[in-house]
Amino acid sequence: MPEGPKLAEELKKMEYEPLLPVEKKLISWSIILGAVLLGILVWVSYTFFPGGH
Amino acid sequence: MVEKKNGISEDWLSLWLGLFIFVLSLFAFSGTDTLGWGISTKAWTDVSKATAPVSKKLQPLKGEITKIDSQKVTLKKADGKEETITVKDTTGLKVGDKYEKPGMSGFSSLLLTYLFMLVVMLVGAAALRVNIGKFIIGFTIVFWISYVCWLIGHYAYIAATDAKKAGIPWSLKLTGESGFIVALVAGLVVGNFFPRLSAYLKDVIRPELYIKTAIVLMGALLGVKAAESFGLATAVMFRGLCAIIEAYLIYWALVYFIARKYFKFSKEWAAPLASGISICGVSAAIATGGAIRARPIVPIMVSSLVVIFAVIELILLPFLAQNFLWKEPLVAGAWMGLAVKTDGAAVASGAVTDALIRAKALTMEGVNYKEGWVTMTATTVKLFIDIFIGVWAFILAFIWCAKVECKPGEKVRAVEIWNRFPKFVLGYVVTFALLLIICLPATRAVQPVEKEIGTLKEEVSKAEKQVQITTDPSALAALNEKIKAAKDKMKGLGDQVKEPKATLTNAKIATDGSNSFRVMFFVLTFFTIGVVSNFKKLWEEGIGKLAAVYILALFGFIIWIGLIISWIFFHGVKPPIVTG
Repeated sequence: MPEGPKLAEELKKMEYEPLLPVEKKLISWSIILGAVLLGILVWVSYTFFPGGH
Repeated sequence: MVEKKNGISEDWLSLWLGLFIFVLSLFAFSGTDTLGWGISTKAWTDVSKATAPVSKKLQPLKGEITKIDSQKVTLKKADGKEETITVKDTTGLKVGDKYEKPGMSGFSSLLLTYLFMLVVMLVGAAALRVNIGKFIIGFTIVFWISYVCWLIGHYAYIAATDAKKAGIPWSLKLTGESGFIVALVAGLVVGNFFPRLSAYLKDVIRPELYIKTAIVLMGALLGVKAAESFGLATAVMFRGLCAIIEAYLIYWALVYFIARKYFKFSKEWAAPLASGISICGVSAAIATGGAIRARPIVPIMVSSLVVIFAVIELILLPFLAQNFLWKEPLVAGAWMGLAVKTDGAAVASGAVTDALIRAKALTMEGVNYKEGWVTMTATTVKLFIDIFIGVWAFILAFIWCAKVECKPGEKVRAVEIWNRFPKFVLGYVVTFALLLIICLPATRAVQPVEKEIGTLKEEVSKAEKQVQITTDPSALAALNEKIKAAKDKMKGLGDQVKEPKATLTNAKIATDGSNSFRVMFFVLTFFTIGVVSNFKKLWEEGIGKLAAVYILALFGFIIWIGLIISWIFFHGVKPPIVTG
């Protein structure tokens, strides 16, 4: 069976890419949106689907 | 793990296999217990008594007659337990006589289960276009090793939750589900120390296929449970939705940030890694790799890491949950669904946690929770996460192309959402919805009537006690009148719900049959997860930096945020309790 590429070699080949502003935006918006939506869902959950609370 | 080559994909195959067994089980509604011969295993001290067919009608029965009530005959068995059976002709039978009903032996049931699964999987193997001869031998090896592990896990000293009842001085109280852990360990031994054997078994080692088929079958079982406690089931479903937000918006962003900022991973590595760690292991890593046009090697490497860590979680988390979350079973279930990656390991850890927590709650507080709710919670959370992989891959592809980096000739197509949608989920939805639709009206008719019958029974019992101590003839007559009226009412109520009760009995027969195979697919999953978890190979390949991100993300925040959010949404929500 032919040997596949090794993980260590692949990681060594990896070049450094600085974090782009668009990525920073993506990360922060994602976390903010997630936190807000979770807050809303907790409220909806406790209000409309008590199921034992 | 094994992706589509020339034949059908494992995803589609699991859907068809699960639906085929489910359809066979539905014959129960026409009075034929098609799968009643499937194997069931119980805690044992004498291995010859460990196995039996799942249908009581097929089990052999021997005992002394203690009561005959028209066609109902009650027997006292050798273990002291009583069992009532229906006998067509009771003439010639009397109390005190020995009675013996021939039936199918446990071994015959096991053999039939093996043959049935072999044939079903062979059809699957043909659809997957693998070598049939090799598959037969491989499947036979995998089946029997897995079953022996399952049997070992049921040894009473390991499994019995009540040592006294099992007639032994002590027990580890790990329940029969410890057989899953035994299968996992056996798989790890094969995968890490017997490379030739594991290479030979390659075509059969398909944990994703087995778990997805099991999930399709589990839908039916959970549909019946949801009908019994509809309010709780909808609450669990809604909370499952919340897991999507957590996995996609919070976990993903955090893991991506850590991988990029602190471990200096490139975008090509960081995105599949974030999906693998935070969403659903293998399929998410592959979908993300495709979405951002990473080289195929990247998601494959990430996937092998995901599988290894899922095994570690599968071994650790259920026992942590048993020790610290046994008072909050559904928090534990949701935690497994959120924190454990890969469908197989997540649902499997839900099943182990279910058994461990129920055993602990019974021992510590005498609370006997109904089986399956922790598994249902873990499965619901995991499935909700799964079904959004396609949408997420589409969103990522869009963002990557529009904002991050667009590769030449790249087009973002909405059809990718469907292509990446896990098809086995459709099977789960069908089996769940069908049994829910069948059982919900029946449960709604039966539950209030049974409550009323229960109250009447209590009244009758009280009145009968009073009869024994009453001497006044008029009071005695009034009591007897009251008893008669209550019994007549009970009979009337019983007749009123005869039909819906028959529906529920048939649903139980159907799900008992399919569940026997669901359990076997679970055992196969555990064993094969072990086999694919080749720690040695990954170590040799230079796991270091990738594993460091994984460990930091998983043990640094994924597990704990998962626990906090599970707690917020599920604390105080308890599974139904077994009554009577």
